[in-house]
Amino acid sequence: QQIQEDMNKQLLDSLVSFLSRSHSDFREKTTEWTCEMKFREIPTAALVLGVNVTDHALTFRGLSDVLQDNITPYVALLEAKDCPGIKNLMQKLMGQLMSCDVDVDSLEDEDGVQVSQNRIRCSMASLISWYESVTKKTDSETPSKKRNSSSRHWQSPPVVVIFKDMESFTTKVLQDFIVISSQHIHELPLVLIFGIATSPMIIHRLLPHSVSSLLCIELFQSLSCKEHLSTIIDKLLLTSQFPFKLGGKVLQVLINIFLYHDFSVQNFVKGFQLCIVEHFYSQPLSVLCCHLADIKKRAYSLSHDQCENIRRLPSFRRYVEKQESGKQIELLTNDSFLKEETEKLLEDIHVYHENYVSILRCLHVFTSSLPKYPLGKQIRELHCACLENRVWETEEYESCLQLARMLNKTDLVTMLQQCVEILMSSSGKKFDKTVGKLKGFLTQFQDLEAEASQERDVSISSQKELQRKTDLYHLQKTLLELKESRRSKKLTKFEMLRFEVVDYIDRLVRKYLVPADDRTLHEIVYFNAAAVLRGHLNAAPRTALHTALNNPHWYLRNQALKCDGGGISNKAPDICIVYKLHLECGRLINLVDWLEAFSTVVMAAEEPNADAASSDHVDDIIHARFIRAVSELELLGFIKPSKQKTDHVARLTWGGC
Amino acid sequence: SLAKKVKEQKMANLVEEYFEAHSSSKVLTSDRTLQKFQKRRLNQQTLHDLLKSAPLAYAAEIRDLNQQHESLFSKWMLQLHLGFNIVLYGLGSKRDLLEKFRTSLLQDSVHLVINGYFPSITVRSILNSITEEVLDHIGTFRSPLDQVEFITKRFKEDSSLELYVLIHNLDSQMLRGERSQQILAQLSSLPSIYLIASIDHINAPLMWDQAKLSLYNWLWYETTTFNPYVEETSYENSLLVQQSGSLALSSLVHVLHSLTLNARGIFRLLAQHQLEKKDNPSYPGLSFQDFYQQCREAFLVNSDLTLRAQLTEFRDHKLIRTKRGADGVEYLLIPVDDSTLTNFLEKEDEDV
Repeated sequence: QQIQEDMNKQLLDSLVSFLSRSHSDFREKTTEWTCEMKFREIPTAALVLGVNVTDHALTFRGLSDVLQDNITPYVALLEAKDCPGIKNLMQKLMGQLMSCDVDVDSLEDEDGVQVSQNRIRCSMASLISWYESVTKKTDSETPSKKRNSSSRHWQSPPVVVIFKDMESFTTKVLQDFIVISSQHIHELPLVLIFGIATSPMIIHRLLPHSVSSLLCIELFQSLSCKEHLSTIIDKLLLTSQFPFKLGGKVLQVLINIFLYHDFSVQNFVKGFQLCIVEHFYSQPLSVLCCHLADIKKRAYSLSHDQCENIRRLPSFRRYVEKQESGKQIELLTNDSFLKEETEKLLEDIHVYHENYVSILRCLHVFTSSLPKYPLGKQIRELHCACLENRVWETEEYESCLQLARMLNKTDLVTMLQQCVEILMSSSGKKFDKTVGKLKGFLTQFQDLEAEASQERDVSISSQKELQRKTDLYHLQKTLLELKESRRSKKLTKFEMLRFEVVDYIDRLVRKYLVPADDRTLHEIVYFNAAAVLRGHLNAAPRTALHTALNNPHWYLRNQALKCDGGGISNKAPDICIVYKLHLECGRLINLVDWLEAFSTVVMAAEEPNADAASSDHVDDIIHARFIRAVSELELLGFIKPSKQKTDHVARLTWGGC
Repeated sequence: SLAKKVKEQKMANLVEEYFEAHSSSKVLTSDRTLQKFQKRRLNQQTLHDLLKSAPLAYAAEIRDLNQQHESLFSKWMLQLHLGFNIVLYGLGSKRDLLEKFRTSLLQDSVHLVINGYFPSITVRSILNSITEEVLDHIGTFRSPLDQVEFITKRFKEDSSLELYVLIHNLDSQMLRGERSQQILAQLSSLPSIYLIASIDHINAPLMWDQAKLSLYNWLWYETTTFNPYVEETSYENSLLVQQSGSLALSSLVHVLHSLTLNARGIFRLLAQHQLEKKDNPSYPGLSFQDFYQQCREAFLVNSDLTLRAQLTEFRDHKLIRTKRGADGVEYLLIPVDDSTLTNFLEKEDEDV
């Protein structure tokens, strides 16, 4: 668990640093702009941030930090939920600005602190009528600000007010605030920043012309969340930095939640976090999921039980079956031998992964430029495809190869160069690259480049000659030569093609193997329980209720409950019977009929041991059970009491669910 | 693509079913009412006793199911500490499960149990119990927002403070409002407050928008228990149980027996008139002037004032309701359903 928390922290840190980096240029721009503004109207920056509201908190925090650092202004962050009325808004604003003051001036005299405290108390006391108090507050605030700022800066710094979620503010509050502050713009230099989730149109919809004419709006666009996702996947999944990896299905689930539900990077990270927690909690061998340096130590400290666990892993069993019999026995009985073997295998996995990532990037360079993107445009799609099954067996891969064969032009060379670059950087970074083959490829590629450039030289020179010499004989001769050279060039193109094919087959078949299939002990590193993840993140409470009510057998393992063909046995729990009967009704349900139907069903179930003497009592009990079941259905939201007709309830669902 | 087609067909069916269910305003159900059918209505107490005597079916299987859920407790603890909050869904009351979680794991730590199904619970009371009992703060706050801010500040300052909050039925009537959910979400987003809640309503997830969901940071757990909702439904005023809030026959009779003969006559007159008009859905009630006229004719009152005094008395006992119509005339109505009224009249006849 310690490791896991470490990992968690590591992960979050890297994520935060990445996010702040990605926003930095955007932030820089805004900052610069705030510095430059001159104030006649209220300068306003509209940040179009996209619908993933949950991710914006970080952006805004970063923005206000940057603004504060660059000596510019006092910054206040306002959220719609804190400002139901203009009074609250002003109070909040005041409070934040004052505390900003205190923060910034913390080294200065206590005078400022006292003043601010006074002011706050005063604002508390003066709740007589809101407009008066607001004007008073603003008025009284203004000189203090002036004084404060003029003592510190030669230029009065603007006061920035950030509206985090423009859409959820009430229009009246927003309008009033803008009108009020526009009155005081000369004494109090305000800058507004709106965070907009939808589109800039919303400004004009929320604010009438008279108000929006008081603003001088400039628009800023932030990165789309899809780009964020791909960078995050790049940073988190396609590195060898983290020993923990996601299986194909799990990744698919996470990406689907992102793309089809919420576009929220934060949720994606949460899902990833959950994967880590689940993995380290449920898999006893996850101790071994660590950096290469620690493997040895941990492998040796394994207990006997843990060794048994290793032996029980399906991938390990497959591995054992492939070995010769002497080694098999050793593996299955000798713990220390097993430990050594495990260590080797885990190192293999690490090496495999490093190779995998760099080759994946190469392949991505190839496939992402093909028309129609048979293997996907983004590297994450390629990653998923490779993780799920053998790529080279899929149709898409086949068509990729075909396309690549046809696409064989000079842009292919640039692609190859790109690949070389990737491989160069990766092989340069990772010293423990065991396969020397990369170098081989590199030289081959370089040859190719050299050849190509030579050819280009030749052709250029020949063309120059062509231009120079104008007599017919020479012309004919050079043209013939050119033709020949072209034929030979065709051959080199062919060569390139072959190259490629060799590349593909060679690399893919060797390194691109599916983790789940081919790697021994992959269970330690890969997390594959997609169903668990989906259940926890993207639950369907309605489906659960539906199955529980329709087939209680699913949960309560009792022979009596089993029944076939959509019906329900009369021995089911009361609520299931009542539910089933209610499904047969239309929009309104007569309680009396319902009760009778229920008692018929239940009586039939209890027929054998029912005695006529106490039928009255039995009646009462059935009645009571019915009442309980109905009120449970009401609690669950399937029905509600209706006033349309006496003793009727209305159904709130329709059809069979 | 076959599966896709089937799915599409299913969707189309669903849509059709919806419109079918809501197409005609005509309701095809029988006109039988409980009033005619039943000998007596059960009240809360007898219902409770009867249910106690009825054995719970499949007790063994349910126990198995619960044990399965209980094995997750330590996992929940871990996940709560890692910043997730846990929400339980599924059929059956999750009250006992949460209670067990509390007794087995939270005995030594500060925890707060909120019974969401309790009809008079408010967010204010939740916040108060946090500030007063957990934080030992005596004092009032102007608004819940301030209170939340105070709590947040305290929890941020003092990292040793930890609080487990267990909410039964987060989706109950009182807590499902937007503002209360917002406040609870804000609370739950604090790293040292661990929230574990249960929901039951099928539309419960509609309460949360994206912002709240991210504050809550839920981990969903399906815990279908099949336990009866004993506590939860005890507050649910069912149609079939005698309701204490509205007027019942017994109380009607009781009150009227303590009145004078003339007063009883006046009420009778009104009741009869209302029953005559019961088939007219737009019947606004009897206007005061007409009623006065009728009472005079029956020699029940002798002046406007006496009738008014009498009506005030009725109103105090919630026997009648006055409503001002569109034309400004006062209309009188008895807020009791027709069958009770019929029964009442029959009984009166017997007595006389």
